[in-house]
Amino acid sequence: MNLTGKTVTLAHGAGGKQTAELIGQVFRAHFSNPYFTADDAAVLPAPDGRIAMTTDGFIVSPRFFRGGNIGKLSICGTVNDLACMGAKPLYLTCAFVIEEGFEMDQLEQIAGAMEQTAKEAGVAIVAGDTKVAGKGQVDGVFITTTGVGRIMENVHTSGSLAKPGDHVLVTGDIGRHGCCILLERDEFGIEAEVNSDCAPLWHSVEAVLEAVPEVHVIRDATRGGVGTVLYEIAQESGTGIFLDPDAIPVDPSVRGVTGMLGLDPLYLACEGTLVMIVPPEKSDQVLEILRAQKYTGGAAVIGQVTDTETGRVVMRTAIGTQTYLPQPGNELLPRIC
Amino acid sequence: MTAANDKKHVSGAVEKAREIIATYRGPKIRIMEVCGTHTHEIFRLGIRSLLSGDISLISGPGCPVCVTPVSFIDEALMLALEKGCTILTFGDLVRVPGSEMSLQTARGKGASVRVVYSPLDAEEYAREHPEEKVVFLSVGFETTTPSSCIALEKAIGDGLDNFSLLCANKTMPAAYRAMMNTTDAYLYPGHVCAIQGLADCREMLDLGMSGVVAGFTAPELLTALAVIVRKTQEGTPFLVNCYPRVVTEEGSPEARSIVEQYMKPCDSVWRGIGKMEASGMELKDAYAAYDARKKYCLPVISGREAKGCRCGEVLQGACSPRDCPLFGRVCTPEHPTGACMVSSEGACSAFYLYQR
Amino acid sequence: MCVGLSARVVKVNGSSALVDASGARREVSAKLLADLAPGDYVMVHAGAAIAKITGEDEDEAQNLMEGLLTL
Repeated sequence: MNLTGKTVTLAHGAGGKQTAELIGQVFRAHFSNPYFTADDAAVLPAPDGRIAMTTDGFIVSPRFFRGGNIGKLSICGTVNDLACMGAKPLYLTCAFVIEEGFEMDQLEQIAGAMEQTAKEAGVAIVAGDTKVAGKGQVDGVFITTTGVGRIMENVHTSGSLAKPGDHVLVTGDIGRHGCCILLERDEFGIEAEVNSDCAPLWHSVEAVLEAVPEVHVIRDATRGGVGTVLYEIAQESGTGIFLDPDAIPVDPSVRGVTGMLGLDPLYLACEGTLVMIVPPEKSDQVLEILRAQKYTGGAAVIGQVTDTETGRVVMRTAIGTQTYLPQPGNELLPRIC
Repeated sequence: MTAANDKKHVSGAVEKAREIIATYRGPKIRIMEVCGTHTHEIFRLGIRSLLSGDISLISGPGCPVCVTPVSFIDEALMLALEKGCTILTFGDLVRVPGSEMSLQTARGKGASVRVVYSPLDAEEYAREHPEEKVVFLSVGFETTTPSSCIALEKAIGDGLDNFSLLCANKTMPAAYRAMMNTTDAYLYPGHVCAIQGLADCREMLDLGMSGVVAGFTAPELLTALAVIVRKTQEGTPFLVNCYPRVVTEEGSPEARSIVEQYMKPCDSVWRGIGKMEASGMELKDAYAAYDARKKYCLPVISGREAKGCRCGEVLQGACSPRDCPLFGRVCTPEHPTGACMVSSEGACSAFYLYQR
Repeated sequence: MCVGLSARVVKVNGSSALVDASGARREVSAKLLADLAPGDYVMVHAGAAIAKITGEDEDEAQNLMEGLLTL
């Protein structure tokens, strides 16, 4: 079906024939699986044991960026949230709010990316919803995904479980998604080749947890970046976190961009990079496993959990002193001074 | 400077500098880091923890956001909310509280406020949006002012009639003179000196004031402090350029001449210090058409400072942020009361973020 | 008061220059410096090259300390 030149109209959201056409041409064409039916709800086999469930809304401008689009992002975000709990992603639902006039072939590309990413992560998109909002009421398209996963046996991860002595890892270089979006918006005249790290990480996490179920914390360093996540963990677990800034992997171009704008990569969003906190005797093994996986080859140990400076993140500086990592808080603004 | 410039290996020279500032014993040496970027980097690098108890660092007034008076934000708010202007600004100013609200809050009320990296980007925005009345908030010291003038020159060349500057540019010499009794030596702002050369510092030397021009990396800051400690012990006033890879004797004559072409000195109010003669820059009368105050007939606004805020004393090194009753309680980076908490260069913000 | 970033000049086009800071590129004004040439390192602030950089901070520290200690 050629969708070029066609746009979404309010009629596509009215529930009638055109709604059925939209779902048929765009969504069913991509999300086809036995659970995705025309009935009011998907009927699914219940998984054994504990399940994890999560939901996330996605608004991103621009919708298409180096390394992904809002569709891929909407799958990765929910898959990775489940993965952080040690849950194998099983089922996903998605709800679209589409602006009147949105181009069909863009929608098609977004759905295509969702299909591909879901397939890669091994998750089935089992139900969806489409609403069309009047021109100007939404910015292009908003997507909300909800996911259910089965938690692996013997796995218990939580931000409250970080223990003094644990090693702090990141699964790859940090801040790339945030930096990529900043560049794509082209507000500051800076050019650099930075791809979003947007990726589904279940397979990396699964490989780690199969060998090392004792991992204490896994967390997705999305909004607010690694710095924000580390502060959350320090506060939830009543520990301190000491970082070695030299060990934090940052893409040189990301460093260049953040240097120009006076920003810190620790506060830029990642969409395919997790923070893991593991018992110290397991960190080499976890690192080795991560480095052999597709999206986590750049994994690194960046610091350690302590029983001092509780609730804080402390940086060891290049000259051997210690300072607090500034607490996250505000909208990131480039500064001259 | 930023983390990108940190070096991994600390050389023998840097070790030696570190030893000098750590082991100094003697009469108290008070050093004012004039520049806010120095304040920020000194905190970020944890340099204060390396200093002997006989050396104290005072965070000076060299943060353009911190010394910009409340009334300037009020003027920008009036342009945005009442005159229908689009405000383009450096990110630093967006959260600074005016008498009633900040530009960020005003944005929520429909004001058009955009953050730019350079004044030249503001000029480009004006060129691309001829239907909008674009005002660039021109703040900053000698380092930043030339960029505003380059943008103005470009706007004139492009024949723009929708671009103007709201100026609160400041110059350092009056502040150097005003602060000289509060401190024994200045850590002069490296990037102001990159433009000005060493002339302003030599004038201070003639008045008996010591100082060194310093860069922003760990080796540069440590050696600059060590030089101050050693030279102070010698007893005669001194001036040493510790940043010769960037700062030359004569600076950038090109930068000074473009500023001179478009701007003239004026008296200027520094938040916390008060009005100082010839300490600011404003557009020359010939460029009144690009002066937002004149173009949009702004009335004289007297801003209302927050009650209890001791930013003024902090800026003069008369008290530590911790001495302020608002610090960390009412006044935090998320909800700043005073300007020293807003800018990441402000002494209060640096204390709060790195040391509290 | 003035965040600066060191960057390498890639190209000079009259009054502007393309600079590169470890892969991040931007046009900046070259009006404040005479005779900029590709390969020069400059300090960039608010969209203008404000000074040429003529050495490394470590070397500078070395020279200063040598001078200081031989006094």
